[in-house]
Amino acid sequence: MWRETMTSGERMAALMRGERPDRVPVIPFLSGHAAVVCGQPIARISDDAEESFRCQLLCQEMYGHDGSPLYAYASAGGWEFGGEIEFPVKKYSGAVIVTRTPIQTEDDVYTLKVPEDVSKAGALPIALALARKQAEHGLPITLQIGAPLTWAGSVIGEERMMGWLIKKPELVHIVLDKVSQFLIKVAEHYVKEFGAERLLAFHGAATETNKLISPKQFETFSLPYLQRINQACLGLGVGSYFIHICGEQNKNLKFWQQVPMTKQTVISVGREVDLTTVMELFPEQIVAGNVDPTLIQEGRAEAVLAQCRECIEKAMYHKGGFVLMAGCDVPPHAPPVNVFQMVKAAREYGRY
Amino acid sequence: MADEAEIFSQLKQAVMEGDEDVAVAAAQAAVAAGVDPQRAIIEGLAAGMAEMGRLYEREECYVPELLVSSEALYAGLGVLRPLVIASGKAEKKGVAVIGVVQGDIHDIGKNLVKMMLEVNGIEVHDLGRDVDMERFITATQETQADLLCLSALMTTTMIAIKDYMPAFKTQLPGVKIMVGGAPLNQQLADEWGADGYGENAVEAARVAVRLLETK
Repeated sequence: MWRETMTSGERMAALMRGERPDRVPVIPFLSGHAAVVCGQPIARISDDAEESFRCQLLCQEMYGHDGSPLYAYASAGGWEFGGEIEFPVKKYSGAVIVTRTPIQTEDDVYTLKVPEDVSKAGALPIALALARKQAEHGLPITLQIGAPLTWAGSVIGEERMMGWLIKKPELVHIVLDKVSQFLIKVAEHYVKEFGAERLLAFHGAATETNKLISPKQFETFSLPYLQRINQACLGLGVGSYFIHICGEQNKNLKFWQQVPMTKQTVISVGREVDLTTVMELFPEQIVAGNVDPTLIQEGRAEAVLAQCRECIEKAMYHKGGFVLMAGCDVPPHAPPVNVFQMVKAAREYGRY
Repeated sequence: MADEAEIFSQLKQAVMEGDEDVAVAAAQAAVAAGVDPQRAIIEGLAAGMAEMGRLYEREECYVPELLVSSEALYAGLGVLRPLVIASGKAEKKGVAVIGVVQGDIHDIGKNLVKMMLEVNGIEVHDLGRDVDMERFITATQETQADLLCLSALMTTTMIAIKDYMPAFKTQLPGVKIMVGGAPLNQQLADEWGADGYGENAVEAARVAVRLLETK
């Protein structure tokens, strides 16, 4: 009978070194779900570093997956720049939402301040507290460094920003500049506190989807700031990156190729992007994806397993390495048995 | 009337270029020239939006362009619609209630669907976002709506649609229910008992019109 010969830590370390681990690693992409399976309110994942870390670690142990705890959420930026957020406490809420954006008028753009002390801005105190837990446990220390246009959307308001892309592009650029300054300051803070070596810098790129913006708008409003932030992080010595290219972004991929990154970069894609395409465009990087979160929520275990197998068979021998992952955050109330299919598939079909 | 064709063209172009000022000016010109405001809406403003919808479906324009066009559309409608209502000649294909489900505040898609429904002659009552089941039911009953449109952008919140559906079926007999949003698909819409699904705003409007025609 086949047995795993590596711990999760060893498996991920081998992957990052460019070596083949014992099996395909699995990072299911769980946030709120980790709280749910621990019997905690979903909000604990984002409002309480201690409990978030505990739930994520217990969840990892239960499933036997390889994704260590991290702190990030898609609507980051609004709180950090002085807006208001709501943790997911309402029925059906699964993620943090921005309830009041820092920018309400055009004039607000000019007065928007980059927080002086990033460690006290918005969710950063919680993120840093979780990072200290990661450090204590010898785990990768994650920091959210974007994606800048997604952050700008949380600062300006998504719909307002969409209009400004056409009518007031200069205002969007001003905000993107300030967001980039902030994110680089965050990276500098993490490097100072934890050292660059163990850092894993994370981009969650949701607003960048071609369901919203054109590839040309991505090239104009996203790419320059992604390049600036990543270049700065590389300059600080940050060697590992995790880029979640959320949703439909097929037409943006050629621009993502132009973002500075190392080989130790995980490129995670949604169901809308074919793994084969990503493998061709990022031969040296680690490709991750792309099990359908809706299927994990609503499908039968057999169907989830079959889709996991399809992903594994398509990508497990990718030169840069492959991680089986959901195409986006797994719904908090997804049936645990469906989530487990990812690990089961890696053990069954992802052995090296 | 040569002027009429010219005005329709200006209205259409104003919408396509997202120019609110030109849309208002062209609408005012239409009024001054005695053009039937209903025709100015349909052959000018709505025609422009329909063309934008076609470009969107061909991926030749994206949400920012659609939103800017919709602002111009609404600016023009602000001039013309009161006149249509006052004339008593307002035609509507049906009444719809629309909203984003409880726990979800992503409403760009919903706003685009609302706009495309209005362009297609459907009276829309917008409940906004984070709408619970009771509000959907009450609003649909109060407005005697033919169509109830639900939007969810997240896999968490889409479950609300599934949960609401049995109550809608029993308490809103005869009302057609449409669903949409990034995590949904036709299969889920069918499984949950929705009458229609639109992958995007343009498609949603097409489905809505079809549902109302067969109602």
